[in-house]
Amino acid sequence: MCGIVGYIGPKNTGEVLMNGLTRLDYRGYDSAGVAVSKEGEIYLQKKKGRIEDLSKKDISTGSSGIGHTRWATHGKPSDHNAHPFLDCKKEIAIVHNGIIDNFNSIKEDLINKGHEFNSETDSEVIVHLLEENYDGDFLEAFKKTVTKINGSYAILALHKDSNELLVTRNQSPMVLGIGEHENFIASDAPALLDYTKNVKYLQDGDIARITQDKIDIWNKNGEPTERKTKKIEWDAEDAEKGGYEHFMLKEIFEQPKAIHESILGRLTDFDELDFSRYNLDAVQFIACGTSAHAGFVGKYIFERIAKIPCTLEFSSEYRHSSPSDSYPLTILLSQSGETLDTIAAAREANRRGNDTLAITNVLDSSITREVDEVLYTQAGPEIGVAATKTFTTQVIMLYLLAIEMGIERNVLSKDQADNYRDELRRLPRKVESILNDKEKIREITERLSKADDTFFVGRNINYPVALEGALKLKEIAYIHAAGYPAGELKHGPFALLTENTPVIAIAVKDETFEKMLGNIGEIAARDSPVVVVGDQDKELEKLADDTYFIPQVSSLFSPLLVNVVLQLISYYTAYRLDRDIDKPRNLAKSVTVE
Amino acid sequence: MKAVILAAGEGTRLRPFTATEPKVMIPVANKPILEYVVNAIVKNGIRDIIMVVGYKRQKIMSYFGNGDEFGADIEYVVQKNQPPTGGTAHALYQTKNKIDEEFIVFPGDNVISKDTVSDLLENMEDYTILITRSETPSKYGVVTLKSGGEYVERLVEKPKKSPSHLISTGIYSFRPDIFDHIEKVMGEGRYDIPSAIEKVREKNEIKAIKTRGYWIDAVYPWDLLDVNRAALKKINKKYNGLIGENVMIKGNVKIGRGTRIRGGSFIEGPTIIGEGCDIGPNVCISSSSSIGDNTKIGPFTSIENSLVMNGVAIGSNSSIVNSVIGDGVKVKNNFSTYSDDKKIETDGTLHKVQDIGAMIAEDTKIGSGVTVDAGVIVGKGCEIKSGKTIREYIDSGSKVM
Repeated sequence: MCGIVGYIGPKNTGEVLMNGLTRLDYRGYDSAGVAVSKEGEIYLQKKKGRIEDLSKKDISTGSSGIGHTRWATHGKPSDHNAHPFLDCKKEIAIVHNGIIDNFNSIKEDLINKGHEFNSETDSEVIVHLLEENYDGDFLEAFKKTVTKINGSYAILALHKDSNELLVTRNQSPMVLGIGEHENFIASDAPALLDYTKNVKYLQDGDIARITQDKIDIWNKNGEPTERKTKKIEWDAEDAEKGGYEHFMLKEIFEQPKAIHESILGRLTDFDELDFSRYNLDAVQFIACGTSAHAGFVGKYIFERIAKIPCTLEFSSEYRHSSPSDSYPLTILLSQSGETLDTIAAAREANRRGNDTLAITNVLDSSITREVDEVLYTQAGPEIGVAATKTFTTQVIMLYLLAIEMGIERNVLSKDQADNYRDELRRLPRKVESILNDKEKIREITERLSKADDTFFVGRNINYPVALEGALKLKEIAYIHAAGYPAGELKHGPFALLTENTPVIAIAVKDETFEKMLGNIGEIAARDSPVVVVGDQDKELEKLADDTYFIPQVSSLFSPLLVNVVLQLISYYTAYRLDRDIDKPRNLAKSVTVE
Repeated sequence: MKAVILAAGEGTRLRPFTATEPKVMIPVANKPILEYVVNAIVKNGIRDIIMVVGYKRQKIMSYFGNGDEFGADIEYVVQKNQPPTGGTAHALYQTKNKIDEEFIVFPGDNVISKDTVSDLLENMEDYTILITRSETPSKYGVVTLKSGGEYVERLVEKPKKSPSHLISTGIYSFRPDIFDHIEKVMGEGRYDIPSAIEKVREKNEIKAIKTRGYWIDAVYPWDLLDVNRAALKKINKKYNGLIGENVMIKGNVKIGRGTRIRGGSFIEGPTIIGEGCDIGPNVCISSSSSIGDNTKIGPFTSIENSLVMNGVAIGSNSSIVNSVIGDGVKVKNNFSTYSDDKKIETDGTLHKVQDIGAMIAEDTKIGSGVTVDAGVIVGKGCEIKSGKTIREYIDSGSKVM
């Protein structure tokens, strides 16, 4: 998950590159860098952090340049590991996406020949290999280098003395943008679309030489070849969203993959934490917003699977609570790892002497430096302000943790643990089958979109899901929504129920199902339209105005599926109301203020 | 040039495996059949693909998206009001206003390779049919050639007695005026491409190109094993998972990320094992097997020449041979399938099938000590209690107590 851009032409090179990188933000953003060639010298700026943090010093002029934005999945984001990489003589610069399979042997060989490496990446071998092969002819050196490397890659290179950019690809995308007296290169079309709509797609094994006025392409057999110029009809914004109308919808649809990535390897071998080292007699979840709801679901999961008593605190309130005598394991949840309130809470938990564990989606984010242990959700970058796939993967992590802790505490049999793991393995395809029903879910949002007030009710482990459903509807549809435990409605909110206040009721077949049926009956008797999300049931069909039944799943794992349905309900309600779904008013993706 | 892929049908003869996904999305060697088609086209340098979708189209659209990940620009056209049978021309007709030059057409439900497409591209004329040889020609559209062997003499759909062994692969090149011919035949109540081609043939020559590339078709559930075996021939050796002690791996075996092969297991290629699986200890997987993602296989179980899909759990001491196990099937211990030559009846005809085991559709739950007879199909979402022997077809959603 990285992005590449390149430019050759008369414009402000640094600006074109940085703008292109910003357009690739959706592919990742934990480190970025730019190298430009100017009057026989290469100027480099690279840095861990956001693209806008990059210094523009020395890179604004120059006739050609390359840039890279990185989303680390392996190897820490750091200044050293950021692209571009330079050779020992600082004459060549490269950026690379993908994996070089044989980098170890090449690296050893190059070190023996006296090359000095400054990073832990596989990418750096490419630039030193280019240096080794360079004999006055940059193109020849590039061609020779490409024959030596195996793997999947997109590589873009520049040499200080030659006014050209060289590029190749193998199983990794690369597209050339054609301008007038200028040309562009990018891993993904959105980076180019502000400048040109005319593109050529390279094919596997192609090598291309790009100058200001000319593009030469050789195919994998080294024969000169043409690649047809295509006109792109969509604009950059559309392209970033991969054909989806909003990032939120894209991210909702990425959930099966995100779950798969988050459980990968962790079901068979969870070796990231040594559970015997921690006090597992009590657990405390601390988080804000959607993450807090994930923690709240976690409370039920931990109590059920690992039999650990749990508490939940909002980050902003935690500091003002009084310390207890016990030292609970403190689990802090933050998608970005930059949420200021949660970081402050981590410090406070440490001060109180608790063991601290953070669950976050961003490698090496601020919170990771404040806690004893970190676990990463593998959701990939989340751009939509309303959290979707990160909630899902946070909850997945909590299931995984609860299973391990249950085993550690001897309260969970091996068979039972295996059953739970089987349930997790099946979740991706169950979520997928809900997503494939999106039209059905869309239909049930018509009534909601006309309401000013709504209630979300659930019981037991789905009570936090009702809270989360209500939060999503408020966030993106700007409709007032209140989440309640179903049994609490009659203690006050009943006064508000009218035919204009729809109630979304979660009804799964756990020990509270009969009670839930009773609650739904009570609500329906007040003339409020009822939308039921839950397990298939004839009684529910009779009582409810609209229903959506989730695929069969044990009630302990139902929150994830129900929540996906609620995400789609909020999305389509907001869509009907024409809201700014990815950037709701007054909200920011990561809240770095108290 | 644009390529049109026809992917709107259910593939009813593959039921119950098409309950939640169309035939084109059934995985063989862990990739949907349609992905082989897309790859073969893209590898020939064609990026613009129009997919005609219909049945369970969400499944296709969310998998392929805008095509970016597959190196293609995919546009979708929905075929509404599908005619009852043989609606290929009707499906193709939906793309009419997106096409203004010569184009090529593919069925989405056959596994093909890069060469299959290049054979067409290298020699095609205005109207071309890509043909191949078949042992069972009468299942398909049979082609006879004019003397010289370059042009089509006749194209006969599913003849009782086949005049030749050459059949149409359903892969064509056309000029946009094919749509006029389609309009005419649809006016006469015929909705299939061969009927439209008959109209073309009244005035034009139709080139026939014989392909040497792959073209493998699955009509019935038991055919999936052949398609799977063929797709596995292209697997490369690659181990990404964790491999335990004393695991023996022979031949081309591909093991996905996060998969764990526990001690003492034996795996023989060509075999593919997906991501996040938990296999063993002491499991034996023999050649031409596909195991999907997130599948668990318990100790002392043996799997041979079988297609096991995603999220499946199989207990210990089980034997799975020449079988198809659908997504999410859950089987407890001591499950047995066995393989034999069988006559299987579907839609009133008897099919002779060689060496066939069990075919179990998605989300079926099977207790301990169950045996499923050779050639038996078990529907989707069934529940079979421990100790039962299943001797004949079971409808989806049945409970065997």
